[in-house]
Amino acid sequence: MGFFSVLGDCFQILKHTFRQVFKRPFTYFYPFEDRIYPERTRGRHIHVRENCTACAQCVRICPVVAIRMDKEDKMYEKDCALYFDYTRCIFCGLCVQACRFEALFHTPVVDLSEGDRDDLIYGPDKIETLDRDPLKWRGRRFR
Amino acid sequence: MSPDILDGSMDIWFGPQHVSAHGWATKLTLVGDYIVECDPNAGYFHRSAEKVLEFKNFRQGPLVLERMCMLEAFLAEYPYVAAVEKIAELEIPERAKVMRTIMMEMSRIHSIQFWWGQFNAELGFFTMALWPWVDREYSLDVFEELTGSRHTVSFSTPGGVKYDFTEKVMTQLNRAIDRFEDRLVKFKDMQLGSPTFRARTENIGLYDVKQGLKWGLSGPPIKACGVPMDLRKDDPDPNLAYDMVDFDVPITENPEHPGQSDAFDRMEQRFAEAETAVSIIKQLIPQIPEGDIVDPKARGKANRLPEGEAYARVEGTRGITSVWLKTEEKGQTAYRAKIRGPCIASYYALKDLVPGSKFADFIVIFGSLDPYPGWWDR
Repeated sequence: MGFFSVLGDCFQILKHTFRQVFKRPFTYFYPFEDRIYPERTRGRHIHVRENCTACAQCVRICPVVAIRMDKEDKMYEKDCALYFDYTRCIFCGLCVQACRFEALFHTPVVDLSEGDRDDLIYGPDKIETLDRDPLKWRGRRFR
Repeated sequence: MSPDILDGSMDIWFGPQHVSAHGWATKLTLVGDYIVECDPNAGYFHRSAEKVLEFKNFRQGPLVLERMCMLEAFLAEYPYVAAVEKIAELEIPERAKVMRTIMMEMSRIHSIQFWWGQFNAELGFFTMALWPWVDREYSLDVFEELTGSRHTVSFSTPGGVKYDFTEKVMTQLNRAIDRFEDRLVKFKDMQLGSPTFRARTENIGLYDVKQGLKWGLSGPPIKACGVPMDLRKDDPDPNLAYDMVDFDVPITENPEHPGQSDAFDRMEQRFAEAETAVSIIKQLIPQIPEGDIVDPKARGKANRLPEGEAYARVEGTRGITSVWLKTEEKGQTAYRAKIRGPCIASYYALKDLVPGSKFADFIVIFGSLDPYPGWWDR
């Protein structure tokens, strides 16, 4: 390792650093922007109430007892209301595999933080829709 | 040891708060800078997984196992699934066998990539800590694209696997493997050629085969002594596709101390392991057959098992990982499950291995055995 080879290595590193200056940053301006998640991402669930038959297979298979169902609450002929407790859910995907009527799916939404613990129990009003208030920052609307 | 030497001794609790302590606590007795006694204390990570398995049915069981070691989640959950398949006498489709093997080697690569970073960070070589972690991201991308989760993959189920390989998964897999294969040569050159790293690890934590087998070590810590002890060759699982590939058991033999291994040899052994895993995946990718990924009758058969006992084991990243399972007639859950993690042996090996070495070398010795606390407190 002579002096010139060390100097050459230094220039290699400097070249690399210089090139990065003009590149797009690798980081995202989270939470206002986010990366694209794969299709199979096991994020929060969505309950399609039209297809649901209240068979309770999702409730039975859940290893952490995160799902509760209310059979009294009916919108259609056979359906029921589902309550997901995201303080318990481990996103294993067994409930989605257990559902044979295409009534329960994972969505690629993974940011579920709330200010209050109780807000993480998603009732029928929250679990059946993906709508939420858009994130705003300095007058700009993101996501 | 005469008692007067111990008069000036000092007891130090190493962990469980220390970052390099991985969540364990070891009581060290020091005289000056030298360790004279080492007392490992397991129990800080106990989650009663064996008891939990008695309350989970056979499709929920693998979820508990994969949380034992998140870095090799697929390798960790496989023995349980294999034990269930043995009792239920399930047939596995050919496609699922190959997919399992590919995912197993991918988990191994991921675990080794993480360990390089962790071990180098403990030694203070932060450059070599972050570079393998860049490649680890690509491995995680494969897991995420395939299963939807980055760590807790939850991929295998009794009778096959849950998620099929899509074109996008194959693209990600090829990208991860090609990139890693390319960078592996540079890493090896950088890591093993570094004079600082050599000075820090050579002749540190030296033990021979006899001692290693006495402590019950398996996997890379024993293969680094030059013993080709590998379950992939010695006891090939019929539900995996290791018979379809041609590979040699990776071993490391150091001419300076034959039959013995130090921290440097164990690092070299990890490189050999990664090279073998890459070659196995590369051989298996063109051989993936078409067909089902799960036995259609498995779902019904795995609900209630007949009475029986089964023992399944697999060559994990850190050593032999095994599960013993006992079921009762028409049982929905296991009657008793016993998990054997590889790290419990390497943790208690410290009791004989560490005394006599310097305090600063303690973390080198322990880090080189690839500790993961989830494996010794079940």
